[in-house]
Amino acid sequence: MMYDVCIIGSGAGGAPIAYELSRAGFLVVVLEKGKEYKEDDFNKDELAVSRRELFTPDLKEEQHVIYELDEHNERTRYVGRSEHQWSFWNGSMVGGSSNLMSGYFHRMKPNDFKLLSTYGEIEGANVVDWPLSYEELEPYYEKVERIVGVSGEVVAHSFLEPRSTPHFPYAKLEENRVTKWFDSACKSLGFESIPTPRAIIPHAALGRNGCSYSNFCGSYGCATGAKGSARVALLQKCDATIITEAFVYKLESDAIKVTKAHYYDSNMKTHEVSAKIFVVAAQAIESSRLLLNSKNRFFPYGLANNNHQVGKNLIFSAGGAGEGRFRFETLTYEQQKELMEVGLFFNRSLQQWYEYKKSDKKIKGGTIDFLFEHQNLIPRIKRAFYDENGKILWGEALVQKIHKELTTSRVLNFEVFNDWLPTDECFVGIEENVRDKYGIAVGAIHLYSHPHDREVGNDLAKKAVQALEKMGASEISYSVSAAPPPNLVAGGCRFGENPQTSVLDKNCKAHALENLYVTDASFMPTGGSVPYTWTIYANAFRIADILHKRLES
Amino acid sequence: MILSTRRNFFKQSFLGGAVLLFYNSSLYGAAEPLKTLTFAQEDLFPKTKELNVDTASYLLLILDHSRISTAHKEFLRNGVQWLHEESLRLYGKLYYNLSRQNRQEVLQKISEYGWGESWIEALLTYSMEALLSDIVYGVNKKDAAQRWLGFRAGLPHPKRAYL
Repeated sequence: MMYDVCIIGSGAGGAPIAYELSRAGFLVVVLEKGKEYKEDDFNKDELAVSRRELFTPDLKEEQHVIYELDEHNERTRYVGRSEHQWSFWNGSMVGGSSNLMSGYFHRMKPNDFKLLSTYGEIEGANVVDWPLSYEELEPYYEKVERIVGVSGEVVAHSFLEPRSTPHFPYAKLEENRVTKWFDSACKSLGFESIPTPRAIIPHAALGRNGCSYSNFCGSYGCATGAKGSARVALLQKCDATIITEAFVYKLESDAIKVTKAHYYDSNMKTHEVSAKIFVVAAQAIESSRLLLNSKNRFFPYGLANNNHQVGKNLIFSAGGAGEGRFRFETLTYEQQKELMEVGLFFNRSLQQWYEYKKSDKKIKGGTIDFLFEHQNLIPRIKRAFYDENGKILWGEALVQKIHKELTTSRVLNFEVFNDWLPTDECFVGIEENVRDKYGIAVGAIHLYSHPHDREVGNDLAKKAVQALEKMGASEISYSVSAAPPPNLVAGGCRFGENPQTSVLDKNCKAHALENLYVTDASFMPTGGSVPYTWTIYANAFRIADILHKRLES
Repeated sequence: MILSTRRNFFKQSFLGGAVLLFYNSSLYGAAEPLKTLTFAQEDLFPKTKELNVDTASYLLLILDHSRISTAHKEFLRNGVQWLHEESLRLYGKLYYNLSRQNRQEVLQKISEYGWGESWIEALLTYSMEALLSDIVYGVNKKDAAQRWLGFRAGLPHPKRAYL
């Protein structure tokens, strides 16, 4: 059978294309490595989901090799084979990691699309402008709000991006009353507190149930369907053929076109799929790995890799995280009740320093999101294992400490998002001598964080600390490091106008092939200072329109 | 059902075979790993017994899991050996034959060693997992720990065991 479009990967980068083109009548097949789960399959089983990582591949069977280059120019190699190693998997299932996201949704700002021309070069970094403007992507951001479902409240602030609609289509989620403490603290500090938009619908709509305020958004599948995963929002609403447990290990091509996708099923039996157009959206690291593993006589260095750009300029979200604790001892009875309200969201962000000045130089800053500590009980309890001198506790002392910490205090976290500058030292390659359970060479992830990233992260974290101090939090701390968040990864197949320095053109089509598109976060040459998912969705809807026109013609 | 299957695992697992102990450079005897771990877990976090949480059954369940590495299991087993050897060195008896007070003193001593701290931390973690496990796993039948901590989130519960 010849499909019109074959999509590899069913997450936020692939699903909008499956949704739009199958609804337009085209024959679409999606090859998804993971299994299919639906709302009924999801629950809050912390042991299975978080402790044993039910939804991500077992590192003993599928691993990456990680090379970390530190600030002293020393490189450390890790093979992620045991549960104590670094995992860069993010949700292997229909809908991909969008099932497991927290759904903190921010648009990129207009200047994010022109980082080089706005802020200038930074030594050691490959900063470029996008070949696309915010204005071109804006209609698709708006489309995601409607179709995937984004809730929030638009408030004026220094870096509010231009919008084609005045409001979000869904009202903001119900908030914990501690947000008022935050708003009040920000007001006295002159900070602009803004409600955080979320890809969670507050009430039944779009054929889905509304949020049940059960907590546990991040890392967990949503049992009501309120969270806008690519599965519930898009794939369950279209008739694209989805083949699950299909691991695509190679794309076959001639000199100008991809002709077939080869995959293993769960019984290690090989299959092939033919299509007019191939869309790769396997998440940034795996998309580059697939292209690099698909070398042939026409593309001896890997598919679309004539200019050795595939895998290059891998980026993450830079920044860090911090926290402060609120204890009953310092609160009124009413405040104690407010603090311990479960289920309601603490949706607040600061974007006042999305751009700021330092030594008279204009600096690109970022976003700070505030949120209550995740409801997972085991990590919260494990924090009580040690006393203030770092000595491990047990027995009655531990019983008392756990009970006190969990019933009379609560931690408010913050997360800083700023640009992870693309560099020559951060990229994806292939580790020929390490094979996964399919016998395919695994990806080699080369990590390096530009010092500028940490400087900006620190500047932003200090602002967050001010807000926590003003709120009356104690035990405030933060960490800004060179360690990347494995769930916020992009780049590797950057788009651009010059084939010498990019893999894809403006339409996310490979420069070197007529029918190969890459539509996950791989296309992003810089990442903005926000979580990526909204932009991935929006760009995939944009490419869906382009493919629609192409297939019609 | 799950635990019955796990008991088959126990017969063949590292928890089923005895651990050989050496004292003063010669073979002293052997110790039972599961019995040792159960004693140690109760000494480390007696609240589990008060809340009727079956930590021993949970160990059988979880240490058969594919995501628990062989190296980690070996570490737990080695810890059993080292704990008893420390107990022999301090009091001339196996750990589980000591008085409650002496067992606490042995734990205090091993917590000063790197391996001992890690071993205690691992056992406490499994105790917490048992304590907070869903009813579906059959070791925390009354959600007692959730009620102890006033925990009201975490719905829906799993309909079947995923572990």
